[in-house]
Amino acid sequence: MSDLSRLSQSIDQGDREEAVKLTEEALGAGVNPQDIIASGLQAGMAVVGDKFSNGEYFLPDMLMAARAMKAALEVLKPLLEKTGVPTIAKVVIGTVEGDMHDIGKNVVATFLTGDGFEVLDLGSNVPVNNFIEAVKEKKADILGMSALLTTTMPVMGKVIKALEEAGLRSNVKVVVGGAPMTQDYANHIGADGYAHDGGRAAPMCRQLLGK
Amino acid sequence: MTTGGNGGKPDLTPRRRFMSNLMGGRKGKRVSVSNPTSIACVELMDKIGVHFPEAHTDARAMAELAAAGYEVLGFDTIMPEFSVQQEAAALGCEVNWGNDGMMPEVLTHPVKQVSDVVIPENLLEKPSSRVILDAISLLRREYGDRVAILGKVMGPWTICYHTVGVEDFLLMTRLDPDQVRALLDAYIPVTVAFANAQIQAGADAVTLPDHATGNMVSPKDYAEFLVPMHRKMLPQIGGPTILHICGKCLDRIPLIITEGYDSYHFEWQNDPKKAVEAARGEISLLGGISNIEGLLQGTPDDVYQQARYNVEAGVDSIGPECAISLRTPIANLKAIVAAAEEGY
Repeated sequence: MSDLSRLSQSIDQGDREEAVKLTEEALGAGVNPQDIIASGLQAGMAVVGDKFSNGEYFLPDMLMAARAMKAALEVLKPLLEKTGVPTIAKVVIGTVEGDMHDIGKNVVATFLTGDGFEVLDLGSNVPVNNFIEAVKEKKADILGMSALLTTTMPVMGKVIKALEEAGLRSNVKVVVGGAPMTQDYANHIGADGYAHDGGRAAPMCRQLLGK
Repeated sequence: MTTGGNGGKPDLTPRRRFMSNLMGGRKGKRVSVSNPTSIACVELMDKIGVHFPEAHTDARAMAELAAAGYEVLGFDTIMPEFSVQQEAAALGCEVNWGNDGMMPEVLTHPVKQVSDVVIPENLLEKPSSRVILDAISLLRREYGDRVAILGKVMGPWTICYHTVGVEDFLLMTRLDPDQVRALLDAYIPVTVAFANAQIQAGADAVTLPDHATGNMVSPKDYAEFLVPMHRKMLPQIGGPTILHICGKCLDRIPLIITEGYDSYHFEWQNDPKKAVEAARGEISLLGGISNIEGLLQGTPDDVYQQARYNVEAGVDSIGPECAISLRTPIANLKAIVAAAEEGY
């Protein structure tokens, strides 16, 4: 278990080479991939998220941690595909139409993946219909939308409306985020959840699903 | 010209009012209202019949929309640059200039390291530079006797966001800090040349956005990367210079006041009273009114209250905290002027 705490520390420190090395060593020592994720990667990302939320970490630290975690997950990927690891829930995520900003959304997607969610990332500048189609096809439990511009925030409301029209609204929790977003605005457009920053996104999604 | 209030001082032209506020000079009858970033919004565009993307690419359209900030809104400054992508375009990035509902976006990031940096000899003649210089000259001729004309030039940090890409550049601060310093140094001449050209064209002052924004850049990184670079750059800029950084920045105001700026344009999420305290009279403070909760989503009364709070806090010139949302109502922008007209 001590190696996994070192792995968690390497994620916290954004040390990609160390994270990959410790993941390979843990696998070599016969540790279950799910334990590596839970006690190594998720634990590390949880620390990073907390540090970002309390102002100790800044965006470059988040990006470094996400980079390290992605590399460690790549090591585990072939095994995970073989064993079919159960996921917490399915998430469809994207930055809304007219908005090219994707850093915040990418960080959240990485956090959610690291926390055990199955994430389908639609990218940035995503048309309303693509969200609807993806939620339908994927049978998503959560739809996450990001906007960094005040001009594109209203598009989130349009997507929620389109979900209602497609009869999908009751099947999916809608969560929103982005620098100009506020809890008031999230309530105004009828979203189920809002996280002020990426560090709080995964706990908020778990809470919404009661998991 | 009227007299009365404040010991019977005469009222000043908008230009004198703003310049005095900007340089920490004597107070007139009332605080000035300024827009060091952008006041372009759809309602204003519809009113005067000038739209995006022409207002980014055509000097006459740009000047007309900018002048509406004075003519329609009653602000004391005119700022003709509505985007932050002019330098990026001149340096070889592809830019989508957007439309009425969308601000411009940089589409390509050609620089991976300092050896990729290419500064064209005709930088100031590139269309995206020339349009700003021409718009400033037009405005100087038409309004220069009474309204403050502002220019805008991106700092090296923001230029790196565009040419390198935000994510790659922020990662570089951790992976290769020497490369970051080399890139910043490489872009200092771009910022200096464009700033001085705008001052020569007729700008009373330039805004210099360098987006070392709250959550994106730590105070430690600010001290390590931004402060030495700004201190090297500022003595080379020949006119009053206003730093603009979005987000929570109270933690770095003590650093900003050492850099050589005349003023800092700040956001509402930094309590204006605390910002004034942190600036210690070393630089003036501009802005302070919330773009989202106030100007976009609030009522004229909400904006008025925020504006008065700023005046009472001692903010030198009040106005939107950053480039306003394109959906901002004119009535909310006019509420800032109404609050200023109340006097100190």
